[in-house]
Amino acid sequence: MNDPVSGIALGVVIVGLALSTFVTRTSFLIAGARLRLSHRVEVALRFAPVCTLAAIIVPDVLMHGMNATFDPSLLNPRLIGAAATGLWLCWSRNIFGCLATGMAAYSLARLYL
Amino acid sequence: MGVYGEYRRLVTAPGLEREGAERRAAFRGGQRAIVPSLFGAGAWGMVSGVAMVKGGLAVPWAILMSLLVYAGSAQLAALPLIFAGAPLWVIVATGLVTNLRFVIYSAAIRPYFADQPLRKRAALGFFMTDFTFTLFMRYAQQGKLPERNRDAWFAGVCANNWTVWQVSALTGIVAASYVPTDWGLEFTGTLALVALVGPSLVTRPALLGAIVAALVALATYHMPYKLGLFCGAIAGIVAATLTDSWQRRSPPAQPESA
Repeated sequence: MNDPVSGIALGVVIVGLALSTFVTRTSFLIAGARLRLSHRVEVALRFAPVCTLAAIIVPDVLMHGMNATFDPSLLNPRLIGAAATGLWLCWSRNIFGCLATGMAAYSLARLYL
Repeated sequence: MGVYGEYRRLVTAPGLEREGAERRAAFRGGQRAIVPSLFGAGAWGMVSGVAMVKGGLAVPWAILMSLLVYAGSAQLAALPLIFAGAPLWVIVATGLVTNLRFVIYSAAIRPYFADQPLRKRAALGFFMTDFTFTLFMRYAQQGKLPERNRDAWFAGVCANNWTVWQVSALTGIVAASYVPTDWGLEFTGTLALVALVGPSLVTRPALLGAIVAALVALATYHMPYKLGLFCGAIAGIVAATLTDSWQRRSPPAQPESA
């Protein structure tokens, strides 16, 4: 077991990460009316969240293990967990139910498959 | 009484009082609106807290990171690099690329806060996350935002989300040594995002965009610094926009409109 990472260098890294978050989150909000977006871009931005989150979720579910190899098989516990969450979502919008169902299916699949 | 009474009378002038009450009502409305996703935010915060300590950060630094960065995905992406002793610029660049989606978010949300002072816009931006942004835009599209005091409404959303996330992250940081990593608790964060995205997939452009985004993100997964995430997002947005404009052009057999 290595010693926990700490020290000034880590502090600099944290400040750098904090700046990267602040700059991206406030970019257009701070630039205000000086930056203009065409109507077309405004429409495109409506679809930004769903597309970005899909690009985060799907690789996270299908890329498996330490080497992140592609695993679309029906025995992939993450796929089973995500599918269970999706099915529960069709039934009810309750996020607790979604997470409980998904984690239960995921854990069972990891134990028994 | 005396000076204090004078002051009271000034600040509680009827108009101001109604204004203040309206703003507080909007704030509370925002606080209520975020409640259904607070469990997801809590799980995600807890997960990031556990991961920071399990990933090798000393507890005080993990707390500092949680408070200053407040971005679970960027924190989780940076951890293996920090632990591997990667150079500063690589770690910050990774965080930046993971955060690029926030540029898109801030541009999308800007029209709603265009009349707010700079300081307030910066503050609302700092507290904007996947959860709070998605909720705000969903309410905006459904016409459920309050007519006035939208900044107070969004501040209420963000206040609850921030508090729950930070308390959960702190809990995760402190409890990390008792939670075995092999529980796979970090997967709760992904499931929370699934539950967040699901309801948006009902329109054809959104569904197609999500599929394209996922396929491209998979194909470009091994690009450095999580750039694949950004490629997928851009491809998905282009696909969704094109589908949207075709859908608009074709419907009730309108002859050539452009």
